[in-house]
Amino acid sequence: MIEKVFEKVSIVSSYNQEKDSFAIYKIGWRKREYFIKQMAYHHKVRQGRNLFHIFHVTDGNLDFRINFDTENLKWILEEVSDGSAD
Amino acid sequence: MDLPINSANPSLIHIDLNSCFATVMQQAHIQLRGKPLVIAAYATPNGCILSPSIEAKKLGIKTGMRVREAKEIYPDVIVRQSDTNLICDASCKFIKICEDYSPDVTPKSIDEVVMDFSQVKNYWKKSLTEIGLEIKKRFHQEIGEWIFCNVGISTNRMLAKLASSLHKPDGLDVINHKNIHQVYSSINLTDFPGINTRYQIRLNTAGIFTPLDFLSARDDFLKKIVFKSIVGHYWYLRLRGYEVDDFESTRKSFGQEYSLGEKTSDTEKLAKLIMMLTEKMGRRLRASGQTAQGIHLGLLYDDWTFWHRGKKFSESLYTTVELFQKIMFIFSLQPGKKIVRKIMVSCFNFIPVDSQTLSLFEDSVEKKRKVSAAVDKINDRYGEYVVSPALMIESKKVILDRIAFGNRK
Repeated sequence: MIEKVFEKVSIVSSYNQEKDSFAIYKIGWRKREYFIKQMAYHHKVRQGRNLFHIFHVTDGNLDFRINFDTENLKWILEEVSDGSAD
Repeated sequence: MDLPINSANPSLIHIDLNSCFATVMQQAHIQLRGKPLVIAAYATPNGCILSPSIEAKKLGIKTGMRVREAKEIYPDVIVRQSDTNLICDASCKFIKICEDYSPDVTPKSIDEVVMDFSQVKNYWKKSLTEIGLEIKKRFHQEIGEWIFCNVGISTNRMLAKLASSLHKPDGLDVINHKNIHQVYSSINLTDFPGINTRYQIRLNTAGIFTPLDFLSARDDFLKKIVFKSIVGHYWYLRLRGYEVDDFESTRKSFGQEYSLGEKTSDTEKLAKLIMMLTEKMGRRLRASGQTAQGIHLGLLYDDWTFWHRGKKFSESLYTTVELFQKIMFIFSLQPGKKIVRKIMVSCFNFIPVDSQTLSLFEDSVEKKRKVSAAVDKINDRYGEYVVSPALMIESKKVILDRIAFGNRK
């Protein structure tokens, strides 16, 4: 099942200067917290001059597609899926 | 005298990402991994399957099937629409890694490249097999652990592609003069890239039933009896490991097509869609620095009849409006008004913009072109369709970006 969401979410993340790596630890959405176990893919999308970072992460049960808008520094949860057929 | 098998050391690597659209989707969505998944143009029952995952392929689901057919085979198959940005990003990473190894990398499609090492033979102090294995490892590390590819190594493009298809998924094979007979004895004629069932019938008619028969056929026989053209000679060389496909084709046309969700015969609605297709096509034409003198329009009707017309014009067309007017002129030539299910537009007969003679009588042409190029620049910077023709106001995101099969330019 896949659910299109497009809602603002809270994010806890970190950047490690030594490893030059970025990780998302926690997503706060609809008064619940989801602890991220793995970042599966990261890519960038340009719409005109605006740059968006798209993160595909999972908490082990659900996959989240999160969009970070570099213009206004907002995090948008675009989609949630559990990997089952619709 | 018969030409011997090419005994040169292989210098070409063909790399093919396995079930590209589906595996990249599984890479990004961990919950989809290991499950039968299909990527379809639309998730509706009639949507065409673009890429089944390796798990779906094992169940017998194939590219080109309808979603409905896949569900008949496996009712719980997961259906997703393709994520163009995600696939393009993975493809760019894939090509970038390949470019670290050879200056001559030719993308054959979104998920296939050919790497030519003939110019850098002695640069890498390792064999092509070692390079192939290293590239596979880098795909896992830099694109994702779920990304698998097939690597084929040989002396020409056809054999390298054939080698890459021998052990799917995640294989690596070499075809050279030592094992070519053994490989040919283990495959069918249709396993050769470029030999489809029609060619197979043609070969069978000439008494060629196996790849070894094909290999032992004489040059003259292939050229004069089987293919009745120079194509026969090319196959004679290809089968022996000599390169005949190392050429770059030039682009002859730009085209866009759209299958209507809601089929209609309403001219106003169709004109809006045609305008959207024309804008997309025009942007590509202008980005290439060319104008077109030819326009083609194809319409597939609801009763599955097809009408199309191509026309050349004396003036060269550049702006979306110029192109649109000509397409609508061709549209008006339809013999009757029928319900349309698919629209195809394309332009051809290109002339470079800077080598054109300006009209003595029409002084606004130059101005219109500059405005058109400026609008393209604004859209490049602020996003697609920020400035667009008024006809498109209500239908901005109807026509989705798609990844074409075949050659990338």
